[in-house]
Amino acid sequence: MGNFHIKTPNNIEELVSCLKEVEDKTYLLSGGTDLVIKLRKNKIYTGTMIDLSGVKEMKYIKVENDIIQIGANITFSEIIENKYISQHCTCLKEAAQRVGSTQIRNMATIGGNISNAAPCADSITALMALGAKIKGINSNGEVWVRELDEVVLGAEKNKLAPDEVITEINVPLLGGGYKSSFGKIGSRTAVTIAKLNMAVVIKYNEIDGVIEDVTVALGALAPKAFISNTVGKVLLSEKPSNELLVNFKNALIQEVDIAIKGRASHPYKRIAITGLAEDVYNCLFKVMEIGGGN
Amino acid sequence: MQLQFTINGEQITVDVNPRARLLDILRDKLGLTGAKEGCGEGECGACTIIMDGLAVNSCLIFAHQARGKEIITIESLEKDGELDQLQKAFIDSGAVQCGYCTPGMLMSCKALLMRNPKPTETEIRTAIEGNLCRCTGYIKIVNAVNSVVTNK
Repeated sequence: MGNFHIKTPNNIEELVSCLKEVEDKTYLLSGGTDLVIKLRKNKIYTGTMIDLSGVKEMKYIKVENDIIQIGANITFSEIIENKYISQHCTCLKEAAQRVGSTQIRNMATIGGNISNAAPCADSITALMALGAKIKGINSNGEVWVRELDEVVLGAEKNKLAPDEVITEINVPLLGGGYKSSFGKIGSRTAVTIAKLNMAVVIKYNEIDGVIEDVTVALGALAPKAFISNTVGKVLLSEKPSNELLVNFKNALIQEVDIAIKGRASHPYKRIAITGLAEDVYNCLFKVMEIGGGN
Repeated sequence: MQLQFTINGEQITVDVNPRARLLDILRDKLGLTGAKEGCGEGECGACTIIMDGLAVNSCLIFAHQARGKEIITIESLEKDGELDQLQKAFIDSGAVQCGYCTPGMLMSCKALLMRNPKPTETEIRTAIEGNLCRCTGYIKIVNAVNSVVTNK
């Protein structure tokens, strides 16, 4: 049996001093729902684990300067129950609801999900569509802020330096007229890893009936989630209609063709994404009672 | 390492391997074998226990994550030889068949009722979406929880 050490910082100051001693075999533990499996599967018996869960300064959701600040230790259950997220970030709430099961959502954290950087991570797709930024700290106590895309490398790797940790997720408060939706396809409804996921944020002008701004993020199609400008352009400046839904689906099929042509999952995903498109589109426009997708 | 937490109302200190999971400690150190290991990766829910009022998979938690927490396991539901009404409802509704999923299923339902004594059927189904049962088809389990809710 090897030697395993646990460090349990209780505040940011203690966390920073733990980060000063980071080595090759140092693991950051947040909720643990991925790390427990990873350490067991890879038969890792030696090293140091820094348990972030005791750092109280990383456990809050608040709104300041038109930014929703989400502490990295916030669990998916806490995201689902939060009023600011419900009001302003529907797609993030919907993504959180589709993560794992009740038991996993009670432990798994948003900071952990981002650091783990799985291609199918539900929260990353939603946060990318929302234009989230990531705030963190390093072993010198220096605070940094980066784009989400700069933090996630993909394929279960992040771009954080070994002595860096995510402390907060910043989601800009979108103004009036903005709304969002998230959709996911997996092999079953719960406890499922996304085969495809998508988050769409739009600004809809109710007077003119025109989509004035749009961001489409796609997950599980590439090593990491990405924003599709091609699909976004199809929706931009358009009015919701049956024809628009068809164009939206066709643009998504083209995106799947480019992303994974030749892969075993390609024939399935190019059809499946049209169903996902319909779900997300209907969620966005049904509530507005203009009958866009039906 | 020394670990302190409350288990079924009793504060304890145990010496644990830093890499042990909470499930390992419950079963091997404390002899609380109600929580089962099924898949070992959070898919089946047979290891479900309640930590600080929330249902969690004890196979996905390192033991040290339980420091200072309040843990409730299936063993605490029975009081003085009397089964909890949820356990009785499971028996009455035929919600226990092979029994392997039952402790986890009961703890998921118990956690739900502790937070929400009058859940809807959708809320019951969401609470047990992380618990697999290959015998009952789930209907009898949902009926059992519903019978507790309507009897209140």
